[in-house]
Amino acid sequence: MSQPWWSSEAMWRKCAIWVTAVMVVVLMGLTFDTVRQITAGGERVPGYDVINKKIFYEYDADRGYQVPRIGEDAPLFGQTLTAADAEALVEKGKLTTQAKNCMNCHTLLGNGSYFAPDLTKSWLDPAWINEGLREELMLNFLQDPMNNARTFGTGRRMPDLNITDEEARAVVAFLKWMSSIDTNGFPRGFTPLKQED
Amino acid sequence: MPEAMSLQDMFVGTLAGAAIVVMGAFYALFYALAKMHRHRVAHATALASYAGLVVATYFLVDALKLHGIWLWVAAVMVAGYFLAPRAIWQLCVGTHEESAT
Amino acid sequence: MSEAAANPIDRAEETDDGNRPGQKLALYYFSAAMVLFAAQILFGLIIGLQYLYPDLLYNVLDFSVARMVHINAMIVWLLMGFIGCIYWLVEDEAGRDLVGAKLAFVNFWILTGAVAVVVAVYLFVQIGPGELRSIWLINEGREYIEAPRWADIGIVVCVLIFFYNVAATFTKGRWSGISGVLVLDLIALAALYLAGMYFTPNISVDQHWWWWVVHLWVEATWEVLVGCIMAWGLIRTLGANRRIVTTWLYIEVAMMFGSGILGLGHHYFWIGTPEYWLTIGGFFSALEPIPLVAMVVHAVYDAGRHGFKSSNHPALAWLIAHAFGNFFGAGVWGFMHTLPQINLYTHGTQWTASHGHLAFFGAYATIVIAIIYLAIQKARGDVWMSGALPGNGFAWKWSLALLNIGVLGMTVALLISGYEQSFVERALEGSTWSAYFEAQQTPWFVQGMQWRMVFGWITAAGLALLLWDLATIGRRETRPVQVLNPVPA
Repeated sequence: MSQPWWSSEAMWRKCAIWVTAVMVVVLMGLTFDTVRQITAGGERVPGYDVINKKIFYEYDADRGYQVPRIGEDAPLFGQTLTAADAEALVEKGKLTTQAKNCMNCHTLLGNGSYFAPDLTKSWLDPAWINEGLREELMLNFLQDPMNNARTFGTGRRMPDLNITDEEARAVVAFLKWMSSIDTNGFPRGFTPLKQED
Repeated sequence: MPEAMSLQDMFVGTLAGAAIVVMGAFYALFYALAKMHRHRVAHATALASYAGLVVATYFLVDALKLHGIWLWVAAVMVAGYFLAPRAIWQLCVGTHEESAT
Repeated sequence: MSEAAANPIDRAEETDDGNRPGQKLALYYFSAAMVLFAAQILFGLIIGLQYLYPDLLYNVLDFSVARMVHINAMIVWLLMGFIGCIYWLVEDEAGRDLVGAKLAFVNFWILTGAVAVVVAVYLFVQIGPGELRSIWLINEGREYIEAPRWADIGIVVCVLIFFYNVAATFTKGRWSGISGVLVLDLIALAALYLAGMYFTPNISVDQHWWWWVVHLWVEATWEVLVGCIMAWGLIRTLGANRRIVTTWLYIEVAMMFGSGILGLGHHYFWIGTPEYWLTIGGFFSALEPIPLVAMVVHAVYDAGRHGFKSSNHPALAWLIAHAFGNFFGAGVWGFMHTLPQINLYTHGTQWTASHGHLAFFGAYATIVIAIIYLAIQKARGDVWMSGALPGNGFAWKWSLALLNIGVLGMTVALLISGYEQSFVERALEGSTWSAYFEAQQTPWFVQGMQWRMVFGWITAAGLALLLWDLATIGRRETRPVQVLNPVPA
């Protein structure tokens, strides 16, 4: 064989195996750490009972962008839930967003479809006018979008998805919890609902 | 960390990103043609394309305000675009060695 | 066992007449793939129109439903196309007829039937109550992998049967470097699908694993699968030297997995995952186009040594479209918005749609179409498919041109809309709902959507012509396949 060793079939077979193996091992290591950090109640994703608290946005000078903060008691729909009940409610909400196929119009955490606005921080969106009106407006919107949808003059209305009152409340809980996730400053420059302190 | 960007910088940043890949491809193309046909003009075009890649990277770094570790990423990228076509050429020659004789 | 290494395979006697069971089955898969390709384009036209006329089919066939069919049809037709390609090559590569052919045919009809049921449920049931049974029976509501859980399990079973057919055929026939890579890649591909099959209320955890399926399919295992198909194609159609092609397949695996596996990081910028992913994702994304660019050198080298001779002009043209589409769609369009500094503005806008259209078409649709042309040539009796076809080959040439112009035009139009969207919504207006809707109404955005529609119709015209050409090409041909001078390796 006049072929140099660095271009031989055997060398590259070994190389392919080793490169793949090393990358997989590195990915595994990173995955363990990442999953630990994003487990609900972990460093970056608050526990589900955060829906009992006020969630607001604050500029973090060290990181150079706004981050979600958790404040005083502000129970959703005026009811303080146990950790288990809060989890059950958020779970129902998440299940509803999947069963209603929200992700094929909206984005959640920026992933999904681009026909309707991102939902990552929808709990904090100024469209709800103020904190006092927010919960009721959200429930009305979800249950009767044909009459309550906010289309800002585009005519792109959310369809009627047969969302029940129970499901709507669960979806609101899910959205409130999602707004507390640390997303490294996404969406960029978000202007939250005016906060009453 | 990503910082706030002006509108103009965003335009320059995306354009520079596209230019890096396109210039990288031109460099690779003309480098290979120059090697294949021992062509002077192709060789000069390859070098000019690579210069374009370096300039585009400068604009990218400037528009995105890259600093710290990101400058290293940019440096590795510029080096990678330079070396990869050369390495692939050597591999082409090497893998065809046996049958060429 | 491994006479394969001694490579008598390449100049194998021509038992390969398109009449082997695996090759017949491949044609079934290709036909199903083309039906789904047509569905993809049809539903794409509907959702494109809904951007311009939001009341179109409102509460009847809403955007969410049509969009789900649009993207699912794409995923499934590409997968069926890949399965078809593999059934097409497995007998030739293994040197024997398909093992378990009867089971494989039954499997095809089960899979196709299941796909039809899933689509019917998407269209006529659409949504369910917020309960677990909805994601078991109707749809899972997760982009790209919406298929309900029962279908997920069915898909896994079908893939296992497919895997058995392929692995058993190689084992009873012979193994080679290409088949080794292929089988290992299929295992990875099937295992990754399992990461998409569970429910969690935690959306960060949900999307973390969801990207394992979506990214590690599209930017890793699918790429290697295409590499295997290409490798076989080069040996079979151009008579390329097996040792060289296999070496390059290994080089490609090293490069693809070397950059692609941790390239996963560029999806972990904003979903709650830790900050170190910004650096990892940025680094590997910056490197990802380099192998693509370096391949240009290889193409020049090979063209210089062998020239581009082919006895199947449509297939060769689609392979060239693949090279360009992959380079621009994945390389240029990918890198443009992949660094976190820019992605912070572009993530979740029409930028992604722009990139997605060109990348999926350029990297995958083109290659499946190329292999279908190769298969059809064989199936119609190894006929002439070089120059001087009836009508100067107008059907394949125009369908190629229209499809490529259509997809490229849509990509550019969506890029303009996406640029305007990220500008207005993110940079200027503060990423709120009102900012979103304001961006959707800017003249540049709206005109981008109108042009997208124009190019969408061009794509549809190209597809119609392609289907017609595939149905007819070579049927009345009397000339045998052009014999090329054996290529020196």
